[in-house]
Amino acid sequence: MPISRSFPKSIEALEQIVDFLDSSVGGGKIDPEIVGMMQLAVEEIFVNMVKYNDSSSNDIRIELDHRADILRIRLTDFDVDRFDPTEAAAVDINMPLSERRAGGLGIHLVKTMMDQIEYEYKDRNSSVTLIKNLNSTGG
Amino acid sequence: MFEISRISDDTIALSGRFDASQVKKATEFLAPVDCSITFDLADLDYISSAGLGVLVATYKRLDQSGKTVKLKNLSGHIQTVFKFSGLDRIFQIIRD
Repeated sequence: MPISRSFPKSIEALEQIVDFLDSSVGGGKIDPEIVGMMQLAVEEIFVNMVKYNDSSSNDIRIELDHRADILRIRLTDFDVDRFDPTEAAAVDINMPLSERRAGGLGIHLVKTMMDQIEYEYKDRNSSVTLIKNLNSTGG
Repeated sequence: MFEISRISDDTIALSGRFDASQVKKATEFLAPVDCSITFDLADLDYISSAGLGVLVATYKRLDQSGKTVKLKNLSGHIQTVFKFSGLDRIFQIIRD
């Protein structure tokens, strides 16, 4: 059964989010490599919502749905303008640092580490769903 | 819990979780550093793009004055993040 919790729209909530993920998924049985990827993907999307969806200060809801080997993590930001991180321009990681544009690396990492990312914008609520096969280290 | 400390003249150790909430702490610590350095990441458990951003900014600043920034003791998640970001080809990584 999916479980969810809401977190203040603040970078300081990251510690609570990690505790929530750790206590809710896998019971310590998931490959630590995948745990790190999952935490990173959630942080990057959450921080994007905190930084760029500043039209409201409502809490951000995180829902976890773990069935068989598939984990779905849905982050929802309420009453905000549309901001679809999956449309972010690709980052060319082969470019020298001096030629790379600022930003975008976080979303690049999410896209690389997750198996799938879905975006939904409905009734001014912005949701990003991260999907990960817990047997896949991706990349 | 994230910690950053100077463990020798040219080595700075990072430990714990280097996420977006630790950017200010790390940036303030690194601002006065003005020599070639090695980051020892042996006890760093986690890093996100926010943490990478601080290391990249330090690299760019020191590189402009001919200084080097090296990394050592990357393992697990840390190694994966550097690889997927392409930064493993930017920073010089000291391997045992």
